[in-house]
Amino acid sequence: MIKITVDSSGIVLSQSDERINILDQTIQFVQSIEETVYVDVQLKEHESLKLSYVFESNTTCRLVERKTLNTQSVFHKDITVLDGAHIKMFLENLTKQSENVECIENVSIKKDASMSVGYAELEEANYKGEYLYTLDGEGASAKVRMAALSNNDMRKNYKVSIEHCAKYTSGQMDNYGVVKNNGKLYIDGIGTIQRGYSGSSSHQTNKIIVFDEGCIAQANPYLFIDEYDVKASHAAAVGRMDDEHLYYLQSRGLTKHQSMQLITYGYLMPVVEVVEDEDLKQHFEDVLLKAGA
Amino acid sequence: MSKLKIKNLHVNVGDKEILKGIDLEIHSGEIHAIMGPNGNGKSTLLSAIMGHPKYSITEGSITLDDQDVLSMSVDERSRAGIFLGMQYPQEIPGVTNSDFLKSALNARLEKPLSVFQFIKKLDKNIEELQMNENLAHRYLNEGFSGGEKKRNEILQMKLLQPQFALLDEIDSGLDVDALRIVAEAINSMRSDDFSCVMVSHYERLFELVQPTHVHVLIQGKIVTTGGYDLIEKIDQEGYDWLKELGVVLEEEQDQQPIILGSCARKVVE
Ligand SMILES: Nc1ncnc2c1ncn2[C@@H]1O[C@H](COP(=O)(O)OP(=O)(O)OP(=O)(O)O)[C@@H](O)[C@H]1O
Ligand SMILES: [Mg+2]
Repeated sequence: MIKITVDSSGIVLSQSDERINILDQTIQFVQSIEETVYVDVQLKEHESLKLSYVFESNTTCRLVERKTLNTQSVFHKDITVLDGAHIKMFLENLTKQSENVECIENVSIKKDASMSVGYAELEEANYKGEYLYTLDGEGASAKVRMAALSNNDMRKNYKVSIEHCAKYTSGQMDNYGVVKNNGKLYIDGIGTIQRGYSGSSSHQTNKIIVFDEGCIAQANPYLFIDEYDVKASHAAAVGRMDDEHLYYLQSRGLTKHQSMQLITYGYLMPVVEVVEDEDLKQHFEDVLLKAGA
Repeated sequence: MSKLKIKNLHVNVGDKEILKGIDLEIHSGEIHAIMGPNGNGKSTLLSAIMGHPKYSITEGSITLDDQDVLSMSVDERSRAGIFLGMQYPQEIPGVTNSDFLKSALNARLEKPLSVFQFIKKLDKNIEELQMNENLAHRYLNEGFSGGEKKRNEILQMKLLQPQFALLDEIDSGLDVDALRIVAEAINSMRSDDFSCVMVSHYERLFELVQPTHVHVLIQGKIVTTGGYDLIEKIDQEGYDWLKELGVVLEEEQDQQPIILGSCARKVVE
């Protein structure tokens, strides 16, 4: 297993590997890697950290990042996916019981490169995330899926953006949220296609289920399109848990709690499909169960 | 031996009274057929027994042996052995059929089934019902055809092995072969510990699953109770003759409110 740990004192690779270079605050993937790479990021209170990932041309890689960010910490990340590279990433936010945590990601995807990303945002913390993708080369594509849970008075704010800065680029985002026990969840989904970048497509779905009264949920889709020859769509919905669904499940003997759990699970589970990894799937299931979703 | 007893049940939807005093006793081993024209309260009766939140009980009682069913939550009723095969089963996106079935089975077991045990059980039942195997891995009822949904209801009944099965138009949408398969499934459950209430508009189902009791529900009341010949008569003549009977009954009640309870039921010989 390839493990990399990152904290304010630096980046440590579990054992040296010619496929991975560590320079300063940058992790550079110079060759394709078959096995899953695990990156653990830890930030203490009030710390701020900048980390860069660079995926060299024509590499393929599957990466799982787990971050734990403490109160008042700020995590900046730059990801560069060079020409023809194909990257799958699963980003799990393990930040718990923390206040005013911020994470800003800038992702640049070059010519004919692709990135599939799953964000698991299930833990309890007051958190603000900005995940900003730019498609910088012709044929670049980004597929972003997020599963966010806001529980027990937590407030979570997300801005997920895909900006098209080249022709024939495709961006797709699906953001799913569940809010319960006075949680607050705000998701802004933004798709932008500048003039001249024809042949591109920008699609997004934002859906939030609200479990009980006292929760606040907003799903705001934005599409800024300045070009005719493109395909674009967006959908946003904030809805209550369907009583008929609950009734059906309960009529088969599941308690209300179990029924809600099953529905939440089904709702958030697709996020792990981004990376085909059985261990990860199992892990995600465990986290979902523990989160009392 | 168990007994499900419904006494003077009145049920409202919003302000509208749909059931106007239903009396019904179901003992284990019995199969009851309920027929009646559209919109007269058959589904309301079954849903009220299951505990659908839309229906409010304004009067009367439902008991299962010595348990007060009305004070139980929907899931408690299910775990107590009541099962409702619904007229319109819900589609639940995101929840796979097999995850759902496993959770439903485990909800009534002290020790959860292993994945292996569950799959074995599931496969066996799917085969018996001649269902398409991929239905287990699809989202619960989502995009299922009418007949597939009904077969999926029966699959659940077979897996959960209820003591009292309420089947609401389980035959609607089934092709002839599927109807035979479903009827076999119901018949195979018949025992001294099992009873069933079947709502249907068609004689065909009752031909295949012979009921021990037949009731006709019109305007929120059971207007008559009898045997199989009642089904044949309705199949040939429809409900008009009974509706007239119903109207007469209501007029009688208006004049003599005191004997209301006893004349609301008539046995056709
Ligand atoms: N939410 C509602 N608001 C008003 N009326 C309702 C509501 N739900 C049901 N009803 C009415 O209750 C009555 C009984 O409905 P029910 O579904 O029990 O009929 P049914 O006998 O099962 O009919 P069918 O044979 O068509 O299935 C109908 O007139 C129906 O329109
Ligand atoms: Mg009905």
